[in-house]
Amino acid sequence: MGNSVLKRSIMKKQIVAISGLLLIGFLFAHLAGNMLLFGPPEGINEYAQKLQELGPILWLFRIGLALTFAVHISFTLWVALENRAARSGRYAVSNDRGGTDFATKTMVYSGLLIAVYLLLHLSDFAFGDHYGEATIVAGAETEESLGLYGLIWNSFIQPWRVVVYVFAVGVVGLHVSHGLQSFIQTLGFANDDVLPVLKTVSRIVGLLIALGYAAIPIYMIVRHYTIGIGA
Amino acid sequence: MEKTINLTLKVWRQANPQDAGRFEVYEAHDISTDASFLEMLDVVNERLEREGKEPIAFDHDCREGICGMCGAVINGQAHGAEKETTLCQLHMRKFKNGDTLVIEPWRSKAFPIIKDLVVDRSAFDRIIASGGYITVRTGQAPEAHTMLVPQPNAEKSFDAAACIGCGACVAACPNASAMLFVSAKISQLALLPQGQPERWDRVRIMVEKMDEEGFGNCSNHYECEAACPKNIKVSNIARLNRDHLWASIRAKLRG
Ligand code: HEM
Ligand code: FES
Repeated sequence: MGNSVLKRSIMKKQIVAISGLLLIGFLFAHLAGNMLLFGPPEGINEYAQKLQELGPILWLFRIGLALTFAVHISFTLWVALENRAARSGRYAVSNDRGGTDFATKTMVYSGLLIAVYLLLHLSDFAFGDHYGEATIVAGAETEESLGLYGLIWNSFIQPWRVVVYVFAVGVVGLHVSHGLQSFIQTLGFANDDVLPVLKTVSRIVGLLIALGYAAIPIYMIVRHYTIGIGA
Repeated sequence: MEKTINLTLKVWRQANPQDAGRFEVYEAHDISTDASFLEMLDVVNERLEREGKEPIAFDHDCREGICGMCGAVINGQAHGAEKETTLCQLHMRKFKNGDTLVIEPWRSKAFPIIKDLVVDRSAFDRIIASGGYITVRTGQAPEAHTMLVPQPNAEKSFDAAACIGCGACVAACPNASAMLFVSAKISQLALLPQGQPERWDRVRIMVEKMDEEGFGNCSNHYECEAACPKNIKVSNIARLNRDHLWASIRAKLRG
């Protein structure tokens, strides 16, 4: 009986929930770091440098994060496949009754979009060359590399990249807008009084995450087309 | 004066569990708005029989909303659109003259279709049989006041006990999950002193049985609560989730 616990529906959902909450925690930490992009280039560059200097600790953290993603994705897909199998034939007509909403119904799709975008995002920034050609910003005071800041700046002055990024973080916000209250219900801390409040809070948090992340590329492209990088 | 309406019914017809099934269209003329949904089906069936056709099979018993036998999905909603109403208590005055109604059975792997709108819900019975009971010694009933029950617990337990096991929660859930049903059966006992001795074994056994029967996992859509004719709350699912979590930890600690 012992090892069958993991297979039980509720346990699987609780593993999804806990890994999801860890990912939300990461989203906040990452966002806090990204706020340095509103300051001068040195801010984010020194921050990135400090992270690099952590060496093995950084790698431990990266591996932990990758594992969290792997657990979250594999368990959600497992659960989603089982759910599909549990329905024998579709209803000819299906009509919601006001329990569910768009974010809830699209969790698998928003999740998969996040996973796809994540790969793009990592290859662009995390594993991109922080000192190469692409980090030199035209029109800056210096013709030298602006480091990670330069890389991000050059990327976010391209309108299509801004659009893709804003869409991606919108999807993240949508995912979180269901995810946060779902986490609390799945672990069993909700009741009739707090659930409606949690749903609202969850939507607000989702919105804040989306707005917080979206503000950065929008700030950069607006600045590029107005006062420019130098001022 | 009695008012009557005419309806078009698109009804799922399936001769037996192996049959692929299909929709058939029937005109339901001169239906009294005072009739219940099941009485409307009775009228249609009498006409079908007079024409020498096979009547539409549907489940029913009490016809007063307490037994849990009736149920079908009407235009995509379990028991129809009316809140907190079983199909037998749904009245035809809720429909308009000329409406088209699509009538389907509960669709869940764990509830095989027997015939037309009748599904086999014995999976629910097997879940109850696995652990949804308490063990008591027979004999004289003890004096009621020797076992104290806090008022809020009594209320919540009673609310959970209102579940009639109709299966609308499974029918309405996008994942065909039975969590609302199981959580009601867990909660009605977990909230009372009599349910305590077997509480932690019960939750693990019943959840295992629920999974084995092929119901889906809960994704917190909360469609079950919205569809439940007895207004069973998803807070029961939260209780089931935390009881199951604690029961699993407890089992590990005890070895
Ligand atoms: C920043 C990244 C992510 C965060 C913060 C996040 C967070 C969450 C949270 C908190 C939940 C609710 C847990 C519950 O109670 O069920 C959840 C559910 C879910 N996540 Fe994610 N997630 C992320 C990425 C992903 C990815 C990459 C996938 C890819 C498939 C995914 C798929 C899902 C699905 C399908 C559910 C719903 C599971 C269900 O309700 O059955 N998520 N997520
Ligand atoms: S027939 Fe008994 S509840 Fe509808």
